[in-house]
Formats: sequence, C-alpha cells, structure tokens
Amino acid sequence: MNTPQPPRWAKQLLRWLHPENSIEEVEGDLDELYAYNYRKGPMDKAGKRRALWRYLLNLITVIPPFVRRRRDKPKYEQPSFISRDMLKTYFKLAYRNILKNKAYSVINISGLAIGLASSILILLWVQNELSYDKFHKNADRIYRIVGDFGDLKIALNTEGMPAGLKQEMPSIRNTVRLSEISKALLEVNDKRFEEERVYYADSSFMSVFSFPLVMGDRATALKRIDGVLITQDMATKYFGTQNPIGKVLRKDNHENVVVTGVLANIPANSDLQFDFIFPMTALEKTKDAQRNVWESFSYHSYIQLANSFEPSPAHLTALEKQINQIFKKHTSFQVVFQLQSLTKIHLSPTRLGDSPGHGNAQYVNIFFITAILILVVACINFMNLATARSARRAKEIGLRKAVGAIRTQLVLQFLSESVFISFVSLLLSVGIVFLFLPIFNTISDRALAMPVSDPRFWGSLFGIALLTGLVSGSYPALFLSGFNPIKVLKGNMKSMGGNLLFRNALVVTQFTVSIVLLVGTVVIYNQLKFIKDRNPGFEKANLLYMPITGDLWNRQQALKTELKQNPLTADFAITSDLPTNLINGNLGANWEGKDPNLQTVVQLMDVNEDFVDVFRLKLAAGRSFSRSFPADSNNFIVNEKMLSIMGLTAMTAIGKALTFTGYNGTIIGVVKDFNVKPIQQAIEPLILRYNKSGGFVVIRTLPGKTGPTIKALATLSKQLNPAYPFKFNFVDQDLNNLYKGEQQMGSIFNLFAVLGIFVSTLGLYGLSAFMAEQRTKEIGVRKVLGASVLDVVYLLSSGITKLILIAIVIAIPLSWYAVSSWLSGFAFHINVGWLVFFTASLVAMAIAWLTVSYESVKAALVNPIASLRID
Amino acid sequence: MRRTYLGEFEELVLLTIGVLHGQAYGVSISQQIEQHTGRIVTFGAIHNTLVRLEEKGFVASELGGATTERGGRRKRFFTLTTLGKSAIVDIHQLRNRLWDLMPDAALNLSGI
Repeated sequence: MNTPQPPRWAKQLLRWLHPENSIEEVEGDLDELYAYNYRKGPMDKAGKRRALWRYLLNLITVIPPFVRRRRDKPKYEQPSFISRDMLKTYFKLAYRNILKNKAYSVINISGLAIGLASSILILLWVQNELSYDKFHKNADRIYRIVGDFGDLKIALNTEGMPAGLKQEMPSIRNTVRLSEISKALLEVNDKRFEEERVYYADSSFMSVFSFPLVMGDRATALKRIDGVLITQDMATKYFGTQNPIGKVLRKDNHENVVVTGVLANIPANSDLQFDFIFPMTALEKTKDAQRNVWESFSYHSYIQLANSFEPSPAHLTALEKQINQIFKKHTSFQVVFQLQSLTKIHLSPTRLGDSPGHGNAQYVNIFFITAILILVVACINFMNLATARSARRAKEIGLRKAVGAIRTQLVLQFLSESVFISFVSLLLSVGIVFLFLPIFNTISDRALAMPVSDPRFWGSLFGIALLTGLVSGSYPALFLSGFNPIKVLKGNMKSMGGNLLFRNALVVTQFTVSIVLLVGTVVIYNQLKFIKDRNPGFEKANLLYMPITGDLWNRQQALKTELKQNPLTADFAITSDLPTNLINGNLGANWEGKDPNLQTVVQLMDVNEDFVDVFRLKLAAGRSFSRSFPADSNNFIVNEKMLSIMGLTAMTAIGKALTFTGYNGTIIGVVKDFNVKPIQQAIEPLILRYNKSGGFVVIRTLPGKTGPTIKALATLSKQLNPAYPFKFNFVDQDLNNLYKGEQQMGSIFNLFAVLGIFVSTLGLYGLSAFMAEQRTKEIGVRKVLGASVLDVVYLLSSGITKLILIAIVIAIPLSWYAVSSWLSGFAFHINVGWLVFFTASLVAMAIAWLTVSYESVKAALVNPIASLRID
Repeated sequence: MRRTYLGEFEELVLLTIGVLHGQAYGVSISQQIEQHTGRIVTFGAIHNTLVRLEEKGFVASELGGATTERGGRRKRFFTLTTLGKSAIVDIHQLRNRLWDLMPDAALNLSGI
C-alpha cells in the first residue's frame, strides 16, 4: 500500500513559506504525521478530511509568523592563506630554511645575486644606449636628413638643401646645419689649446636642440658672427672662476671671438659631443664658402617638423618622397634621402660622417640577451637545487598535508621562500653593482650611475626580483606541493623519479647557454686579434704622423728640406688623409667608355711621391708619382677595385686617360688594394691624386728610434710653426682606436660570459654535492664490495657527460648562427672553423668535470665505515 | 543552585526526548506527548520548542541519514545535552524534595 500523501498544493505552500534551513526535516515530519493520522482513523473520506485538517493546522503553525527560525550553527571561519599571519609564517619558514641549509642557501643566493647584478649592470648600459638624445624637448619632431649613394650611406647633407627645403615645405618648422666636427686653435693669455670638438652651427641650433644654456641669451647666442658658445668645462679651462661672458678668445692666430654663452656640459647620452659652437656665418664669411650648392655633402642637417605635422610612418615616407623630388629639381645626383629620427641616430647603422662614439644596435641586443640568459641560468640553479632537495622536504610536505595544509598553502609557502631568497639576492646584488659600477664604467667607457632617486628604477628592480623569485620558485612549488602525503610519509620515494628528466633538461639548458657564451668569447677574441694583427695592405707599425697646421704648409719647402736632412725623419711622405677612416669621396670620375648610368663614389687621397714607399704599398703595375715627371701633378694612381669598376686589368690600365675632380690625366700606376676605412667596410674604389695641399706628414720611424724622432719633429714644429702646439700620433694607434667600440664590447662580453659560466658552475656544483651526499650509503657499499676510487668517481661523473654532449649538440648551431651574424658586420673577418666549437665544447666539458669530480672524489675518498656506521 | 527556567511544555518535551533516548525527532516526540497527555499538540508548538531548547543549549540535534521513508528526507534527531540532563534532574530533585516535605494530611482525599 502506498504511503498516503498530503495534497501537493499544501506541500508547495509549506516549501514556500517555511524557513529554508529546517524545511527538510519539517516537511518529512509533517508527511509522516499525515500518514499516521490518516491510517489511525477510519479509512474513508471523513478520515482523510480529518487527517488533512490536522495537516493544515500543523502547517499553519510552522509558517511565519508562528514558526521559530532555527539559527544556523556558527561556522568556524577558514582563515585566508594570504592573511597577515600566514604570510608572516611563510617568511618565517623561509628564513628558517635558509639558515637550516647554509651551503645551499649560499649557492642559491650568491648565484642569484651575481645573476641579478650582471643583469642590472647590463640593463643600466642598455638603458643608457637607448636614452640617447631623448632629453631634447622636441626630440620626437627632430629628424636628420641622410643620403644613400647606392651602397654608400652618408650622414651628411648639402649646404643649400635645408634652407631650400624649408622654403618649399610648410611642414618643416626649422632647420639647422652643423659642420663636420672640426678643430680650432684657441688662446687666451698664456693658455693655448688646439680644440678638437668644435662645430659650426646655424643660429637656429639653440631653438631646435635643447642643450641647456647656463649663461647668455638663447635667442641671440649664435647670431654674432664673431661669437662662440662654450661649455662649462671649457669656461673653467680658459677663464677659471671669472665670468666668461664677453671675454675674448683668439682663434687660429688670426681673429678674435667673443664668448656669447655658456652651455651646460653636454650630457653623455647626446649623440653630438662638442665643447665649442661657432656660428655658421663665421664659416661662411668668405665668399667662397657661400656657395649654397646642392652638390657638396659637407654638413649635418637636422629639421624640426611643425607641430601640426603628425610624424606617422606614412607621413614621413611622404615627406621623404617630397624631399627627394625637390632635390631632383636642383641636381642630377642620384641620392636617396631619408629622415632619421633624432633619438634613433645613435643606434642606427653607422653612416659615413657619423659622430665618433656612434652606438651599435646589435651590441644592445647581444647584451640584452646575455643579461636575460644569465638571469635564466641563475633561476635554473635555484629550481635545480630545490627539486633535487625535494626528497629531503618530502616528509615536511607530507606532514604539513597530514595536519591540514591545502595545496595552495604549500605553493604559497614555496613561492614565498623563493621570493624571499630573490629579495635577499637583490639586496646583495645592489651592493655588488655599487661596488663594481666604477670598474664597469672603465671597461665600457661610460659614466653610468645608479638612478637611486628614480622610483621607476627601484620599481623595475623590485619587479625583476619578484619575477625571478616567482619563476625560479614556480617549478619546485608546483612539483613539491603535489606530493601524495601517504606515499611520502611511508617513505616511498619512487614516485619522484619524474623530476630527474626535468632537472637534466635544466642542466642541459644551462650548459647550452654556457657553451654559447664560450663560443662568443672565443670568436670575439679571435676577431679582435685578427683586427689587431691584420695587415691593412700597408705596414701600419712605426708610422708617426704630424698634422700640417698653421704656417707649416706655407713653409713646405723648408719643412721638406729639414725633414730630409735628419736621418731620423728622412723617410717621410705627405698625404691629405690617413688611411684609417677616409671620408673624402667624389662622384665625378670619368673615363672613356664609362656607363653613363654608373654612379660611383670614388674615394680620394692626395699623396706625394713618397707615399707608396713610406706606407710600403705594393704596386700591381706602373709606377708611383715621381719628381722626374712634372706632368704627374695631373696624373692618377688607382687601386685594383677602381680598375675592376673601369673594366680594366693592371696590364691595360697604365696610360689610360681619366678625368677626375677637374683634372684630365692618365693612370700612371695601379696600387694593390689596401684598407682606408675600418674593416667593417669592404674595399672601395680609390684614386690617389698628386698632393698640392698638405695634410699630414707621415714618417716611417727607424726601429727603436721613436723617441728621438718625436723630439726632432717637435723641434722642427716649434721652429717652423711656433704658433701651434706640436701634435703627433701613430697610425697604428689610430687604427686601434677605430675598434674601441668592438674592444669594449669584447671586454664587456667576456666579463659577463665568465659570470654566466660561473653561475651555472655554481649550480652544477650544488647539484653534484647533493647527489654525492644522497648516494653516501651506496658509495660505502660499493667500496666495501671492492670498487676503487676511480670507479666511484666515474659512477658519479658519467651522468653529466651525457648531458654536456646533448648541450653541445644544441649549442653549436645556436652559437654558429649568433657569431655568424656578428661577423657578417665585418667585411673582413675570421672564418669560424670547427676548432672554435671544439675548444668551447672541450672547455665546457672540462669545467663540468672539474666541478662534478670535486664532490665525487670527496665522496669516493670517504672511509666506507664512516658512511655505513650510521643507522 | 543553578536556576533553570523551563516552561511546562518545554519540560515535557525535554523529558520526552529523554524517554525516546536517541530516537527523538519531531514525529516521535509529538506522538509520545499526545499518547501520554492526550492533548492535541500542534506540530508548530513542538518545532518551536525544540528550536528554543536548542538555542538555550538543553538539546543538541543532528540530521539522521537519508532513508527510503519520507521521500528520502532526513530526520532531525534530538539528544539531551549535559545541560539538558542536569536541568531535568534538577527539576526532578526539586519536585521530590517538595513532595517529601509535604505533610500526609495535605493529600488526604476526603480532607475531612
């Protein structure tokens, strides 16, 4: 028989109205009572009605307002796992764990600190490279006009063009031209210096750029034709503490200039570096200079765009197109002009005429990647050691879980431990950076400083440390917190073999990075050595030179006679330019049968009869200039590259007519190719003209007689050119200075490669020490059974060999790609042979073996009694 | 002596729970009281009293397991707490003392 049920509507009513937390039992009780009453009475209609009445009566008494609400039992609040107390606990635990395992903590913290310090140093350098010229107020609206002659990319522009463009283009608000960096002899009272950081600039210079003016009037500072702007350093150098404004300087022995303003010292992160700015009008005051032509590329020109102009890429391309069109109206030169944003000049590929100290975007990338790699290696150390030690902490985790820790809490515990360690390391690394910044500045030739007052700097340090902590703690946190408490407390550790693969992968990653760094070091070293030792086509050693300044050239006869008379200086030549970084070039070479569409920039040097001899150049055909051929003053010597452009061979070239820079002459000699530019650049066509204008006296000194030669030259200079200070230098030193950037890069890279490798070795050491410790008993048993020390060392070290071999296989293509792309920036470079990779791999292997074997040998030498007696 | 304020009906319910010993829930309590007192007690009165007693701490309750009876709805079983037990013991002792003090004559039926 079915249980009788009260009508559905009544139950529904009950469910609506009765308090929710007691509905279940009340509804059940009422149903039961209904059934009881129904069955108790006569089983007829009246009985059912009576039962229903009872039910409804009961129902009314258990609905509001009659019912009494059951109060919910007060629940115990689950404390949040990021509450203050828990956080305090996490950090307390981290602190205790650090103290408990001192050796591992030292390895972890020092590794991370070195990694962080390296990254901070590199990032400071990178930040500095990226900050160039950003201090100008209008930096985003200033562009430099540069031109491409086919492959030849120059930073210079013509004299007439900026003004001409401004006239036709309303989007150009202002233009400023700057001469190439030049020299001036300045004198006040007894102080006389030849200044080498001198520019001539249009008067708009001060309104386009924002170099701060300490004294003087910005608007008129460059208006006076005999004015000059000097920097604070120069003001002190010439005038001491006196007010320099209005003071007179004697310039180049023949005119007086007045100081019209004092600039604050030029910031180190300015692409333009100078001490003096003379007005352009001073340079152009001779009629000859006011040519205003569109064909002679001798000025840097900058434009400032109107505020209404939005410098989007599309607009800029249109602007460039317009500039090129206007240029075409003035001349038939085939030049393509481009606009270079002021802030991007420093790191753009070097152009001919770029200011010294030009940056290199590739190096910025290389160092940035290195910084990240070192940090990754340091993080890997942490992860590796933490997972390796997981067995030790398994019991702790099991117990924590058994007493109710949930997984999130354990994850947080481990993360807070690693974050704690990374912050301790950060503190340490800031100290390291403070200590080593001066050394780093010497190596990199920069004036970097920690921006201690900049909250953004601290913010990013904080961010890096937090990220490092989270990344390095993530794997141990997720891995360790996943342990099954029953298994670990029972001592069943087999389930944890899975992390071995991961740990090995990390070791492989570390060593891949190390090998790449090693290959980089070796290749950079070899390339720098190659540069240093390379014969540029002339003998670069023992070449002393003196610029011909002041009156020297007017007295050239006396100069030559004097030089000839002294055996120390007799072997001399006169050349317009030194073959170190030749900038002179000309488009106007012409010969019979020249392709009219061919436009080649031919480099140009004016040399005298002795040049070929003194520089020990080799002639492929013909002869050098000679005193016995008076017609030589119109003739030319060309290099082999020039011949190949002319379509001639050394045999056929001699006697061929050539028109160049207004001279109609013949080719009298062919010189074998030699470098006149840094070896990043390939050899270009070159014409040597007969020297009529001086330049430099270059002396081939006798071996071991350099000192007396300099003395003789100094006497000569004082005698013939008393107004100018005597200056000299060596060609090979100039050549070396050309590669200062590369050398700096090499030293910085070496430093960080060593640090990176050291950090990964540190990690490997920790790991091997741990492994040896874990296998103490095994080693003891093996020794008891007759294993020799060598067997044990082999046992412990063989694992690492496999890993390093894998790392080598991965690292070789990576490093090959990396060094090839660096070397491709040099027209002349070493070939990276297998030896380099072999050496680097061997070194990495040796480092790894040494690291691992130290602990292995230590473990193998332990008396088995000592290791087996315990338990 | 601890003073426990229990109403007459509350006392009744409390005693019934003791009587039922572990099997006390809404229906059984109401049936017991009806059976012993002959009163018709509304379910609401029982329910409210139980809730009140629990609030006062005299009884504790726990939901029983689900059964096939009552459409699977669970019963709420009531047990006496220590406080509840001592409360009825107190009341019982008080009554006994009073009974003992009562002279026999007072209960003489005829009164004559």
